This record gives sequence, structure tokens and C-alpha cells, in this order.
Amino acid sequence: MKRKFLLLLSLITVSMLATKLKAQQVVVDSSLLDRINALETQVHDQKPGEDHVMIVGLTTFGFASHRSKTDGVITKSNSIVDGDNYEFSPMLLWRHGTKFLMEFEPSFAGDQLGVNWADVSYYAAPGLILRAGYLVLPFGTYSKRLGAGWINKLATDPEGVADLPPLSDYGIEAEGGFQAGTMKWNYDFAIANGMQLNPDGTIQNAGIAPTNNNKNICGRIGWLPFPNSSLELGISGMTGKLGDPGTPFEKARSSMYAADINLIENVGMVQLNMKGQYDVIDINQKDYINPADGSNYSFTNHTTTGYVMAAVRPVKSSNNFVKNLELAARYGNYTTPTNSLIGMKDNSFAVGLNYWISWRTVVHFTYESIKSTSTIGQSLGGNPGSITNNNSLYLQFSIQL
Amino acid sequence: MKNFQLKKITFVVFFAMAVSIIVTFIGCASSQKIAMKSGAQLWAENCQRCHNTPSPSTFSAEQWKTVGMHMQSRALLTDTERDKIVAFLQQ
Repeated sequence: MKRKFLLLLSLITVSMLATKLKAQQVVVDSSLLDRINALETQVHDQKPGEDHVMIVGLTTFGFASHRSKTDGVITKSNSIVDGDNYEFSPMLLWRHGTKFLMEFEPSFAGDQLGVNWADVSYYAAPGLILRAGYLVLPFGTYSKRLGAGWINKLATDPEGVADLPPLSDYGIEAEGGFQAGTMKWNYDFAIANGMQLNPDGTIQNAGIAPTNNNKNICGRIGWLPFPNSSLELGISGMTGKLGDPGTPFEKARSSMYAADINLIENVGMVQLNMKGQYDVIDINQKDYINPADGSNYSFTNHTTTGYVMAAVRPVKSSNNFVKNLELAARYGNYTTPTNSLIGMKDNSFAVGLNYWISWRTVVHFTYESIKSTSTIGQSLGGNPGSITNNNSLYLQFSIQL
Repeated sequence: MKNFQLKKITFVVFFAMAVSIIVTFIGCASSQKIAMKSGAQLWAENCQRCHNTPSPSTFSAEQWKTVGMHMQSRALLTDTERDKIVAFLQQ
């Protein structure tokens, strides 16, 4: 009897507990549903908005060791974080809807804080983008597309091509790309305030107040003949007056031309990447002033610079380590005006082994040799034919964020 | 003589028309092939012209829209290419 009573009591207790737990479960479920409903309402009411701001950027640092030999005299130096090639450049992208984009890239490089570009673009129509502000001038492809450390296949920039002519200027620009059958064409034209000729014959391209009504006109046309966009050929031109009215340089004008090539092709196990650019810069002024003593001197103001680069990467290797390796080599030539104060003829050769940590993070191991022959006239205190050999070794890390 | 000239002109006109039709036909046929390209294919072909192909996981969907506009102006992509590549990267 006692056992039956205890059994009955246990059943009643379990039944009561089960009922209570069930009631609690219902309360929990109801609360959860309320929260889900609230969240659904929030999501439904959420407006994506038209504006979108993001910050990306890049940095490049490493170690460099240099050895220079001139007339038998050897000098050596090295630099931690490679001060000569260090760069820290955050970039602000501010999109307003799908029509406007503001781009701003300040940059700390070469021991200076500067601005690479600060402009606003209007996506006016298919194949037409209009831009105004401080913009990268369309001349060749290196400065606008290939110069960033995480894109470059070697630790250094090709001499001359990366510096001449001016990279950025205040102006307006129109650009776009369009399909024509199996081919593609693109165009990029700009009108900018322009450069100024210094008394010694060099060009100044920064910090210039516009002093004449003639603007610098420049542009590039690109052609991609193959349907897979593997080859691009481009030609560029730039011209503008360089002197102030009423000065001896009033009629000075620059005429600049460039040709560029970009080829990427998978050949068997490897991906072949070839790039090149050749620039010609002519200034029609011959008479200049030697800043050392104020005397007049003349030279033909003709500059050429160019490079060709090839890189191979075994992209189809089954080994992940091997797949991320890349071998690159570059030949460059930079010839400044003979018998000028900056006269020289440089031949450079660089070879490098890269390891890609990710698609936008690379370690460059580069060796570069530059043979520089002076062409400064004797009357200017130069030693024409004097040769300087510069050899440098770089271990560089470059990342885009 | 006059008839010969007329025949010559007619031949040139018909030859030019035939060439135009053939070029247009080939162009349209090729354009259709190009129009059929997927975002993944355009991503593979165009991004690597300058740099390695980016991973879709790098940015959010909204960020890819912004990056797409920036890259269109750098690589001078067509609008169709930009839209397809961005749609692929947003997945």
C-alpha cells in the first residue's frame, strides 16, 4: 500500500514538473519569436543608403643594401625598411550611388608626405567616365596601373618611366572602354594646368601656379585585339606650353610620346607576364641659364626612357609553395639631355624572385644593377664618359589592404 | 567603255557591301560569344592584366560595388565587364 502511494505521488510530481517545464518552454518560444519578429522588422526597415565609404591602401617596406663605384671609388650603404622605396598610402573611396566616386590617396614616400590623387568621377554613360580634380595623367600605363608595390614585379620602379613626365596634375579627364566585335578599345584624355620650364632646362611639375592660358593636353588610346584581353597595346601623347608670357621661355613647348605593351598568357605550366613602355620627351627650347654662375648654355632638350619586364609564375603547379613563386627580370634605359647639367645615360638590369603570400601580398627579393654614364659637358664642370656602377639588393614586403 | 565603267563601279560597290556584310556577321557572331562570357571568366581575364585575381571573400558586397567603380577607371573596363565581375565577386 505504501509502495503504491509512493508510486502515485511520484507520478503526480513528475506530471506537475512536466507541465511546468512545458509552460516555461512555451514562454521561451514566445519570447524568441517576438525577438525574431522584431529583428525581421528592423531588417525590413533597414535602408541600404546611397553612400558608401571604404578605406583601402598599401604599404611597402624592407631592407636594401647598395654598393656604388665611381672612378675606382667604392661607397656602400644599407637601409632598414628601405627608406628610398618605403611607401605608406591609405586610399579613401567614397561612392555616392552608382554615378559618383571620390578618390583620395595621400602618400608618405621618399621621406615626403604628398598626394597621389584627389578627384571626383562621374559615371556619365556606358563607356564615358568624367573626372575632375588632382588626377593621374593618362600617359603610358606604369604610373596609373602598375606602379603600386604590390602590383610591381620588382622591388624598384623603372628609372625615368616612373618619374617622367609629371604623374598627377589639376585638370579634367574623360575616359572609357568599349567593345568592338572581338576587340576592345579604350581611351583616356585629360586637360591639365601643365608644367613649367626651369632656367636650367629641367621641368617643374609640382607647386606651379598657372601662368598662361595654354593647358597641357594629354591622352592615351589602348587596343586589346584578342577576345581574351591578353594583349593590350597603347599609345600616348602630351603637349603643352612651358613658359610664362614675357619671359625667354614664352614659346617653349613640350612634346611627349609613349608606347606601351601588356601581355599575359598561360604557356604550359607557367603564366607569362610581359610589360613595357617607352617614352620620348622633347622640349623645343635650346638656350638655358647655368644656375651655378648665371652664364648661358645650350643643349638639345631630348629625353628618352623605357623598360621591358618579363615575369613567369608556375600557376598550374600542384605544389602550393612552388605555385606562389615568381621569377621576374627587367631591362631599362634612361637617357637625359647630353651636355645638360643633368646629362646621363643609364642602363639598368633587375632580376627578382617573388613569393606571393596572398593575391595582394608579396615578398620581393630583387637585385638591380645600374650603369650610369655621365654626359654633362666639360664646360659645365662635368666629366663626360665617367661611369658609375650601382648595385643594389632588396628584400621587400608589399601589401595592399 | 561606259558599260565597262558601270560594271567596274557595280563590282566595287557589291564587293564593298559583301565585305561589310561578312565583317558585320563575323563581328556580331563574335560579339554574341563575348556577350555570353560569365563574370568569372571576365574576372580571370581582366584583373590579371595588372595584378593577381582577387578573392571574392576580400570585400563585402557593398565594398565590391565601390571597388568595381574604382577598378573600371583604372583598367578602363566596359560597363558590362564591370557589372558582371562585381556580380561574380559579390556571391
